[in-house]
Amino acid sequence: MFKGQRGWFCGSVSPDLRQFWVAEGGTISDARAADFLFSCDASHPDTLRIYQSTDYMEDNATVFHAYYLSAVANAEIKNSVTLGHFILPPASLQKEIRRKIGNFIWEQDQHSSIEKHDAV
Amino acid sequence: ANDSCSTMLKYRCSGCIAVGKSLNSRNFSKLLHSCPYQCDRHKVIVEAEDRYKSELRKSLICNKKILLTPRRRRQPSNQS
Ligand SMILES: [Zn+2]
Repeated sequence: MFKGQRGWFCGSVSPDLRQFWVAEGGTISDARAADFLFSCDASHPDTLRIYQSTDYMEDNATVFHAYYLSAVANAEIKNSVTLGHFILPPASLQKEIRRKIGNFIWEQDQHSSIEKHDAV
Repeated sequence: ANDSCSTMLKYRCSGCIAVGKSLNSRNFSKLLHSCPYQCDRHKVIVEAEDRYKSELRKSLICNKKILLTPRRRRQPSNQS
């Protein structure tokens, strides 16, 4: 599925998601050369560097939550998963976005492990 | 948003329907920006990110100006 694609992984991404990427034909690259930027934590220093890059400023770098990969792994039809639902915005924006549109899709996967009691 | 067409347009947001295409971190933001029918979800994210980016740009320009303007630092005088 990811044949010929280069992926950059933030240190916050667990090794099994990285392995899945490679198993599906993807390669690992540095952030500048990558086609895909994956992170699990918007406030991790690796990811912060992306948010402060010229690429990001010029709309050439969208960070995606690496749960996209687990969604792909669990999907019956692998390329039916909408990448666009896994945008990972900078941490400082997430609260405001959440207030307007509710939880992020990648947060809904975490419900079993993290119980949230935020007012809706 | 226009109520009359928002339901119809909800399903036409390029960020939502673009599946299995050659989308990636490099072209996604441009695709969203060029989409006239952003869904609420993507609109909110795009607006927030755009604001973040413009603030970043501003602060970079400020930093550059400070660096490029040769200005002798005056010693703060203790007489006041
Ligand atoms: Zn959308």
